[in-house]
Parts: sequence; C-alpha cells; structure tokens
Amino acid sequence: MQSFRRFDRSTTLFVGLLVVSFLLATFDVRSQGEGVGNVMRDGAQSLFSPLQDFAVAVTRPLVGFVDGVSNIAGLRDENERLQERVIELEALVGDAEQLERRVEELERSLGLDPPDDLAAVSARITALGNSAFDQVRFIDKGSEAGIVKGQAVIDENGLVGRIDFVSNDSARVRLITDPQSGVGVRDVATNETGWVEGQGLDFPQLKMFNAVEEVTAGDRLFTAGGRYPPGILVGTVRSTAESEAGFALITDVVPAIELSRLDYVKVIVGWSPLDADVDDTGTVTTTTEPPSGPAEVEGQ
Amino acid sequence: MTGRQIAITLALVVAAVILQTTVFGDGRIQPFGSAPNIVTLVVIATVRYLDPEPGILIGFTAGLLLDLLGGSPLGLWAMSLTVVAFVTLRVRRRADEGWPIVAIGIFGLTLLGQVLFAVGGTLFGQRTLNNPSVVQTMILPSLYNTLLAALVLPGVTKLMGVGPVVRNWAK
Repeated sequence: MQSFRRFDRSTTLFVGLLVVSFLLATFDVRSQGEGVGNVMRDGAQSLFSPLQDFAVAVTRPLVGFVDGVSNIAGLRDENERLQERVIELEALVGDAEQLERRVEELERSLGLDPPDDLAAVSARITALGNSAFDQVRFIDKGSEAGIVKGQAVIDENGLVGRIDFVSNDSARVRLITDPQSGVGVRDVATNETGWVEGQGLDFPQLKMFNAVEEVTAGDRLFTAGGRYPPGILVGTVRSTAESEAGFALITDVVPAIELSRLDYVKVIVGWSPLDADVDDTGTVTTTTEPPSGPAEVEGQ
Repeated sequence: MTGRQIAITLALVVAAVILQTTVFGDGRIQPFGSAPNIVTLVVIATVRYLDPEPGILIGFTAGLLLDLLGGSPLGLWAMSLTVVAFVTLRVRRRADEGWPIVAIGIFGLTLLGQVLFAVGGTLFGQRTLNNPSVVQTMILPSLYNTLLAALVLPGVTKLMGVGPVVRNWAK
C-alpha cells in the first residue's frame, strides 16, 4: 500500500513537472526570451559565468591537446584537399586580377565596402551551446557595453551571427550555422541576392529564388543589408549551381569564420537595420552613429 | 537516501552543466561533430540511488540549468531530463543484471533524452529536426555516454557511499 502511494506521489510530481516545463517553454517562446525567462537567464548567467571562466581556464590545455590530436588525424585529408585546391587556384590565377577589378567595381557600385568604420565592441567567448543542437556562443559583454538584441557579431574573417539575448554583463550570439538563422546575401561575382540558412552541423545553404546567372564555387557572399550591416563576408559558395525553371537555386556555403576556433569577436554596436537607407537604385548606405552609454567602443 | 547524497548529486549536476557548456560545448571537444551529454549521464548515474521524488526533481533541475545556460527555450531540457529521470527510476532494478544491460540502458536513456529534446524543440519552433545531421546529433552522444559510463558510474557509486552493484551470478 505504501509503495503504491509512493508510486502515485512520484507520478503526480512527474506529470506536474512536465506541465511546468511545457508552460515554461510556451511562455518563453511566446515572450521571445523576454520577461521572467530573461530574468532567470540573467541570474543564471551571472551566477555561472565565473565558474565557466574557471572551467575554461583549467581545461584549456586539455582542449588544446585534443584539438591538436584531431588536427593530426585530419592532416592527410587536409593535405590532399589542399593539393586539389592548389591545382584549382593555379587554373584560376590567370583570371584573378580581372576578377578582382570586377569585384572592386561591384563593391563600389553597391556600397559594399567592409564596415571597418562601424563602431564595435570587442568581446570574449565565455561559454558555448550545450549540445550540437545549440549553435550559440556566450560573450562577456552585455547591455552595460551598449550591446542590444539583434546586433551583428563578426570576427576578423567575417560574420559570426547576431545577438539574441542580452543581460547586464553577458550576451548570447546565435551563430549563422543555427537552423534558425538566415542572412540576406549578395554574390559579388554575379550581383545576385539570396538567403543563407544555417543547417546545424552541415554547411549552411544558399537559396536564390530568382537567380538568372549560376553561382560558381569560390564566389564570395557578403551581407546584403537588412538585418545585418551590408558588406560583411558571410562565406564562399562550396559548389557551382544554377537554378532550374520554377525551382530555387540551392547550394552549400563554406562559412568565412572558423567556428571551432572562435575566441574573440566584435559586436557591431554602431549600426541597426533602421540605419540602412535604400535609395531608388537599391543601393544600401549606412550611417555609423556611436552607441549611447558607457561602452568602450572601437572602430570610430 | 541521505542529505549527503542529495548534496553530492546537486554538486555533480552543477559540475556536469559547467563541463557541458564549456569543455563539451558546441565547437570544443566534439569528436565527429558531437559531444557526450554529460548532464544526462550524471542524472542517470545519480538518480539510481535517490528516492523517486528527489530523483525526478534532480532531473528537472539539471534540465532547467541546461536551458538557462544554453540557447534553447526554457523547459525543453527540463522536460527531457525529467522524463529520463522518471524512466531511470522505473528501470533501475535492471542494473543488477550486469553491464550489458547497464550499457543498453545508458544508451537508450540518453537517446530518449536527445529525441525528446529534438521533438520538443521542433514543436516549439526551434527546427531541431530540420537539422540534416539530426540522427548523428542524437546517436553519437548516446554512444559516448555509454563508453563514459564505465568511468562515471563506479565513481558516482563510490561518491554516493553505496557499494558496487552485486551481480546475481556473484552472490
């Protein structure tokens, strides 16, 4: 009788906690990460950040060792891949200067100069998503540094993602590889615009719905404005593709950034989608107002 | 079950969550693109020695911590690990039947947690099942957990202050 009662109590608790979980998820999704969920995340981040920093510092040699071992294992494949790449590049070198001039000309005409002059805040990656489902990174700067939700995050190679949660002293970056991420891009070789969608562990996909020209392997894709400042390198086209009548052009993209080696990033705080002006010709121009607040801002 | 066991369990869960979000997080130690799900493994390993109610609460707490420190909506990991804890409590007696059963159990329970998270994520608009590598993302952590169980389970047994499980054939 006692064990029956105990079973009953634990089952009731189990069902109750499932209901609580379901309600939490519903409210969190409905409030888009704001409200009580935001407060709870804020508290947890503040509480766990020092412990996570400590864990990262202590385990850095181990992670480096494992990284090194896995690099050795992949060296042969990498060597073969590089040899093939050298052959491809040698074939392309004759056209390189001409192509470069064309790219520069297109960038000038489209206002796609890389956003060197945009105000940015440097931040360090402190924690990672907790599974391969979670394509996010946490950084050590938050609203106190002028960071707000929606801002673009870059590193020296290109676009990393965008801020999707901010607390006082930390923020969460949703990477461009996350299936929920989408980036409007422009292929500077063809001037076609499209959409790069994250695919989790797989390469992001480029989708072009009205492409006239084919995209070629190696074509560089830059942000086309909208949610992100224009002119940030997103990646390169992995394989040549063309659209067939009635179907979208779909191909893989190699991200410009190396996600496994992200340590420091820059959050572009001097730009928001509202800063973009699109003139009659479709050219996007940006203003570079510095953020208000006590942020330590670079790049102005 | 003692207060000491609860305290040890909470400490292990916090340590596992920190390891999961740093060392085994996305982009760090991830052989073949996936890492072990240490938190699930710790929940399975500790809940075996707890009474049903605290056991279920530990599963929920561990999941909620993962949700708070991860990128998923609150409640998704909490729901998954609550179910994992509940099922662990229901099948824990089978652990007496030897290591093959324990290994299958660890694999199955980890997989259950991963599948529930993926399905729950999709229901809440996270597009987790749209991920082309979703099978790899669910199977590999289960395999890694099964291997790691050989280290973690004896350690947890010792920490919880209970003797190793005596196999039927050894009695």
